[in-house]
Amino acid sequence: MSSPIPVSPSPAARELPRSRHREFVVVGVLLTLLTVVFPVLNAHGVISDFTITLWGKYLCYALLAISVDLLWGYTGLLSLGQALFFSLGGYMLGMHLMLLIGPLGSYAKAGQNPAGLPDFMVFLGHTFLPPFWRPFHSFGFAVMMVFLLPGLLALIFGFLAFRSRIKGVYFSILTQALTYAASILFFRNDLTMGGNNGFTDFKFILGHSLVDKDTGPATMRGLFVASAVVLLLACLFCHWLNGTKFGLVRQAIRDGENRVLFSGYATAHFKLFVFVVAAMIAAVGGALFVPQAGIINPDQMTPAKSIEAVVWVAVGGRGTLIGPIIGAIGINALRSWATHAYPDSWLIILGAIFLVVVLFLPGGVVSLPTKISAMVRRRPEATPDPVVPAETESSKP
Amino acid sequence: MTIPPRLTKFLRSLLLSVLLPVQVAHAAGADRTETARQTIVRAILTTDDAQKREIIGSLVGQGDEAIRDLFTAWRQDSLFVFTAPDGAKVPVELAGDKDGTGAQSAVRVDNGEPLKDAAGKPLRLIGSQLAAVDHDARLRLAMKAVVDLLDLGSPVLAKRLRAIQTIGAAQKPDKLPALQARSQIETDPKARLALREAVALIQLADASEDVKLTGLSELRLLHTSSSYDLIKTARTKAETDGHPAVVKAATVALDAIDQHKSFINFFGTLFRGLSAGSILLVVALGLAITFGLMGVINMAHGEMITVGAYATYITQNVFGDGMNFTLPFVKIAIHLPGLHLTGWAYQLYFVAAIPIGFLSAALVGIMLERSVIRFLYRRPLESLLATWGVSLILQQLFKLTFGSNNVNVDSPVYLSSNWTVFDITFDWNRVFVIGFAMAIVCGVWLALTKTPLGLLIRCVMQNRTMAACMGVRTERVNMLTFGLGSGLAGLAGVFVTQLGTVGPSMGQEYIVDSFMTVVVGGVGSIFGTVVSALGIGLADQSLQQILLNPVLGKILVLVAIILFLQWRPTGLFAAKSRSLD
Repeated sequence: MSSPIPVSPSPAARELPRSRHREFVVVGVLLTLLTVVFPVLNAHGVISDFTITLWGKYLCYALLAISVDLLWGYTGLLSLGQALFFSLGGYMLGMHLMLLIGPLGSYAKAGQNPAGLPDFMVFLGHTFLPPFWRPFHSFGFAVMMVFLLPGLLALIFGFLAFRSRIKGVYFSILTQALTYAASILFFRNDLTMGGNNGFTDFKFILGHSLVDKDTGPATMRGLFVASAVVLLLACLFCHWLNGTKFGLVRQAIRDGENRVLFSGYATAHFKLFVFVVAAMIAAVGGALFVPQAGIINPDQMTPAKSIEAVVWVAVGGRGTLIGPIIGAIGINALRSWATHAYPDSWLIILGAIFLVVVLFLPGGVVSLPTKISAMVRRRPEATPDPVVPAETESSKP
Repeated sequence: MTIPPRLTKFLRSLLLSVLLPVQVAHAAGADRTETARQTIVRAILTTDDAQKREIIGSLVGQGDEAIRDLFTAWRQDSLFVFTAPDGAKVPVELAGDKDGTGAQSAVRVDNGEPLKDAAGKPLRLIGSQLAAVDHDARLRLAMKAVVDLLDLGSPVLAKRLRAIQTIGAAQKPDKLPALQARSQIETDPKARLALREAVALIQLADASEDVKLTGLSELRLLHTSSSYDLIKTARTKAETDGHPAVVKAATVALDAIDQHKSFINFFGTLFRGLSAGSILLVVALGLAITFGLMGVINMAHGEMITVGAYATYITQNVFGDGMNFTLPFVKIAIHLPGLHLTGWAYQLYFVAAIPIGFLSAALVGIMLERSVIRFLYRRPLESLLATWGVSLILQQLFKLTFGSNNVNVDSPVYLSSNWTVFDITFDWNRVFVIGFAMAIVCGVWLALTKTPLGLLIRCVMQNRTMAACMGVRTERVNMLTFGLGSGLAGLAGVFVTQLGTVGPSMGQEYIVDSFMTVVVGGVGSIFGTVVSALGIGLADQSLQQILLNPVLGKILVLVAIILFLQWRPTGLFAAKSRSLD
């Protein structure tokens, strides 16, 4: 709409470089502590193995949240397809892990699986490994595919979407449709990706046992450290990107795409790059998630899961580095607790959190200190909403 | 046979009456009024085995279920002949539990009534003291032949049809006379066609080439898909045996069937596509208003559908026996008394559910608009998140109130039947959905273009600020518009009770599809939504028909939509505007 709707300055633009660095230092220190302290305490028996695995999963969710934030918080693209990339990454590594089960599978134990196929294939009556599964015997290939397949899908889809200038709500709905299509595809048995049961019952990763009583916890600890390190690297990357000119253009796209376009920038290329990178970050999160959770199935791929990840970011505070991490860990910890304590009301609690955050706390939890201090100083009107990028009425016809 | 069967029957009974005076009364009018039971009595009392078989054979073509029961009893040795004090021989069936003396209750074979003594008291008899009715292998064979053809004369049409088809598929020439006899008296057109097919199929299996050709030309005229495989087998056999004329005729018949099949498939798919599109249309029309006109991304739209569906469920129970449920958290038990209606009055519950579903969903929608959405008109992407939260809450509330299992909504009689025209089945519920979708579209169009409220809605949606400046109470218009959109979703909910399952998460099935429909049609254009809903429905059904794989078809449709938006990013009928967002 051509009416000159005032565009509120984006948080990053308003922030002083110092506060940006301060945030990064906080995140860095916290994550480093997490990387070191948790495993050490676990090795000495202070933190249970269960907690380590649980927190390992939270960290993977945090990676997913970072990828959403990269798109939504910094670039203004609300993608409802991040859960798709997350599970695709998980599936790619899961294929490798399935092939490692080998003689420990229940059919192989019963002597009914001479070809060493994953159990679900034997169950479905396959007698040989489908050709596209074969390279996944190699760990290196599987890791490569964790990046390549989601990256490629994001590249193709993003190219098509951004080229025809699909944006705003339309982009969200299209990514949702893509995720929906992929999930019903993965629910099918003849894709030979495990159907609705997905992959489970993993035994080894890189020669280390995941289930052994003695060595299993150490493997899990290793995976936890790996997740924390990858998360730290992702934060580092985002922090670096925000400081570059690229990062600034990206935020400008969020705040007023047409102005950037008319200034001579090919916004589609910027968006495409971010979309592909975000897909890969989500995919790495998924790949780390699978051995720790011990299962990946198409339920993880539904549009609802994508929306949930968006909510973690909204709750934590979008357009910040620490917000998505707080949101992902906080909401999932709350879920772990509430699904046991109040199984009937958990979804209602989750729904209510959304409503409250969207209606009353658009900046998320991280904006809470600013809000409170503003309220204490009794000058609420002087503080504009900290992290609400200009949503003009762009989605209106 | 030169002597008509009726005459032989008469002669036979005449002969019997000479031999057995007690049967005279029965046998005198035997030819027309004799029931199957009486015929069996006659068979039992005949001493000659060949005659026995003949009498039993005369039962072929009758549909009386008593025949099956009596023959079973006969073979299981529970038929006996009781000699009354006056010397009359009465065949009886002993049934029921034996008492201390070994006596059982006795039922007369000739009329199925309990056997009574002179004083009218039911008699109990001991089997071992009576003469058992015996049977040999050939008699049992004769009985089996009768029982096999029993269903052919069944008064129930479906049973009769099944029997005819089974006989035809078996292609046994010995059944031909029975079929032909039935054709003489059969009046139902469906059964007549089935009989023609069965006769033709049996002719197909005949050894003679001429008979085969007669059968094939008949099958070509009938072009039923059930005969396809049998004709194919016959053609293969004719090829190996070297009957070129039969092969040719079989090929012609097969072509005729293929042609007919593709004709049915084409129109069947067209019809199913139209009805699928109509469902999509009814579901998406509400969204075309809330999303298309108002710009609110209402992820709780699916739950408005669920509200309509549960409203139908409640209406049904109120028309029936009433229902109890407890509101979650506040723990208020609600008892809805039932009206205990039956028959047509009960069936009308669906008609009552239509306005109830609309109003209840509209009410929930208005509550949602007042409490959440009115704060988010300038933040459409965030309305997506907030309404998703609402959708989670509503789903859980449904689950806690009505249970997590699907509930059962009856199909009213007037929606649960179908018409078959040229072998194409038109289910009434689908016809109804198509008709109703058209009615709703017309209604919405009239409401938006011809009523004062419609004028207000359009002006507020075009420019909220300007409308407010002109004195329009935009808040109220927003509320009513959202209520209208939600109410339409509720109407959709009433309809999907007839076509899908009703459960707490049912709304989720429709949400992605309905958003796609609105986007493809062009946001803000009701007409676009109509075209895209019908188009997507038709594409979906045709792909299912072509690929024989519903999931793959659905995925292809989604991919096609993504590609379509490459070509027209704003949908089919986007509102043209020079403004730049």
